[in-house]
Amino acid sequence: MAGQSIAGAAGRMTVAEGDRSARARLVILSLCLALAVSVLLSLTSGASDASAVGVVRDWLTGAVPGDAVLSARDRLIVYDIRLPRALLGVLIGAALAVSGAVMQGLFRNPLADPGLIGVSAGSSLGAVAVIVLGSTWLAPLTSALGTLALPLAAFTGGLAVTLLLYRVATRHGRTSVASMLLAGLALAALAMALTGILIFMADDRQLRDLTFWQLGSLAGATWQKIGSVGPVIVLALSAMPFLARGLNALALGEATAGHLGIPVQRLKYTAIVGVSAAVGASVAVSGGIGFVGIVVPHLLRLLIGPDNRYLLPASALLGGSLLLLADAVARTIVAPAELPIGIVTAVAGAPFFLWILLRKRGVIDL
Amino acid sequence: MIEARDVSVAICGKRIVTHVDFAARPGEIAAIVGPNGSGKTTFLKALSGELAYTGGIALNGCDLKAMKPVEAATYRAVLPQATTLSFPFTVREIVRLGLVGGRSGVLPGENARLPERALARVDLDGFAGRFYQELSGGEQQRVQLARVLCQVWAPVLDGKPRYLFLDEPVSSLDVKHQLIIMDIARDFARRGGGVVAILHDLNLTAMYADRIHVMHRGRLAAAGAPQHVLTDELIEKVFDCRLKVGVLPAANMPFVLPQSAA
Repeated sequence: MAGQSIAGAAGRMTVAEGDRSARARLVILSLCLALAVSVLLSLTSGASDASAVGVVRDWLTGAVPGDAVLSARDRLIVYDIRLPRALLGVLIGAALAVSGAVMQGLFRNPLADPGLIGVSAGSSLGAVAVIVLGSTWLAPLTSALGTLALPLAAFTGGLAVTLLLYRVATRHGRTSVASMLLAGLALAALAMALTGILIFMADDRQLRDLTFWQLGSLAGATWQKIGSVGPVIVLALSAMPFLARGLNALALGEATAGHLGIPVQRLKYTAIVGVSAAVGASVAVSGGIGFVGIVVPHLLRLLIGPDNRYLLPASALLGGSLLLLADAVARTIVAPAELPIGIVTAVAGAPFFLWILLRKRGVIDL
Repeated sequence: MIEARDVSVAICGKRIVTHVDFAARPGEIAAIVGPNGSGKTTFLKALSGELAYTGGIALNGCDLKAMKPVEAATYRAVLPQATTLSFPFTVREIVRLGLVGGRSGVLPGENARLPERALARVDLDGFAGRFYQELSGGEQQRVQLARVLCQVWAPVLDGKPRYLFLDEPVSSLDVKHQLIIMDIARDFARRGGGVVAILHDLNLTAMYADRIHVMHRGRLAAAGAPQHVLTDELIEKVFDCRLKVGVLPAANMPFVLPQSAA
């Protein structure tokens, strides 16, 4: 039986058949370790040869001045350049992966992904509008909101696309995959066209910012950026676990979820706002990093099943780790130059997406 | 008790259900029969709060429109005609979803074992580890029934009766499992709960229903005990078929009725 073979080593003796929760907990625990290792790897890889042992020892003894293990230059590199970059990577990887999992639950479809269906494009439009028009048309807004203007604008753009998409693709509580993907395509194209107009209006300095940012990158991570988007992402992510039971019930359809006592309307809007906030904040600092939201939840579903109570935290952990690994590749593969991380995730993610599509062709009716 | 008074439902401006009065009492199986497109499922959807309606529906004396989803879910569970999934849940994980509201009615410690017990009731012992999507249509329907049973495991909660709404619960089942499922419904009613079931098989209906509501073109054509409702005239009028009630076929023609079950 397939269920039994998958149940594997995680305690077939003690766990009831078909109950994958023990295994899910084990996987989550391992992912915590993997994330710690990834962070350490991210802190120690690069031109400076700070060793992992050195970083840990320095961190443990660093509170005492003059007792530091690393040189002043290495400390600067590790604490002011690599650490914010690693933290930003974890935050964004987690935000994108969890957003993907939540959207897939919401649309009842394993192919939904914020990047694929235009949510990221909407966020980009909002962010580019602030970058280009921030000192002219939108000056009152940017001066009033300060560093929050960019994430807020990205959030608004993403929210607008998600709401529109949901309206277009869902009829009588059923979401048509074909309408979802096609409407997402159209909305993404529209958002990109509008973004194009803004880019056309941009000056040289803004253009340089925009190009790198649009391909997606963790470069330029600073403590200040983490301060402005970190709280948004952490808030959005900490709301998600409360949606897990509802999203599980939603797998049976909106009507049945309602019959089970789930306040479906509230669930849907909380999910949409949460996803838009998380994606908007990510896009605001790092641009469009694709495919994390589709690859991570899919891999985890193969491993621990689709129960969102475990899938959401596991997605956050694996998303963070994978993005750090992708960033390590981006930093080293063309060293001393650096590849935008969005290119790395697309090169790895797009074939993976095609593979899912081929595998699922019989199961998903478009 | 579930009471519907003068209920009408329109979908996209089209009247599907018109001025229906209906009652389901605890201790009874209330069957809804009628030809295809007569508004049975639409009416059940109004009764379960899924579709907007005009008129009044009361669940144990409370106005349905004023109830929160979780309150309604405490006192009634709904089995839809078919449920498709887009994620690879195991049978056990699906059945467990019936416990999401947390008011199955058993002691908290027994909830963990409830999915197995429910699966055993619907004759799916040993299926807990299988993937839902790999099962046959009839097996999937029984998994969903097990989920629904978990939701209202105790037919009476806090002194109030609970209800099973079943939309064609036996439509894709073989004859053995038709009888098993209808026995579960009867047992639920005997123990103080109420059952509302849309059925197509008039023989099963006559055998199990305490009260039959016949729907025809969105209206209630008749309601009452089986022996009063299932008449030659009604069947000809509603089903547009000249059939005789209680007439045996010619001697050389085999026929099998559920009533003959030993």
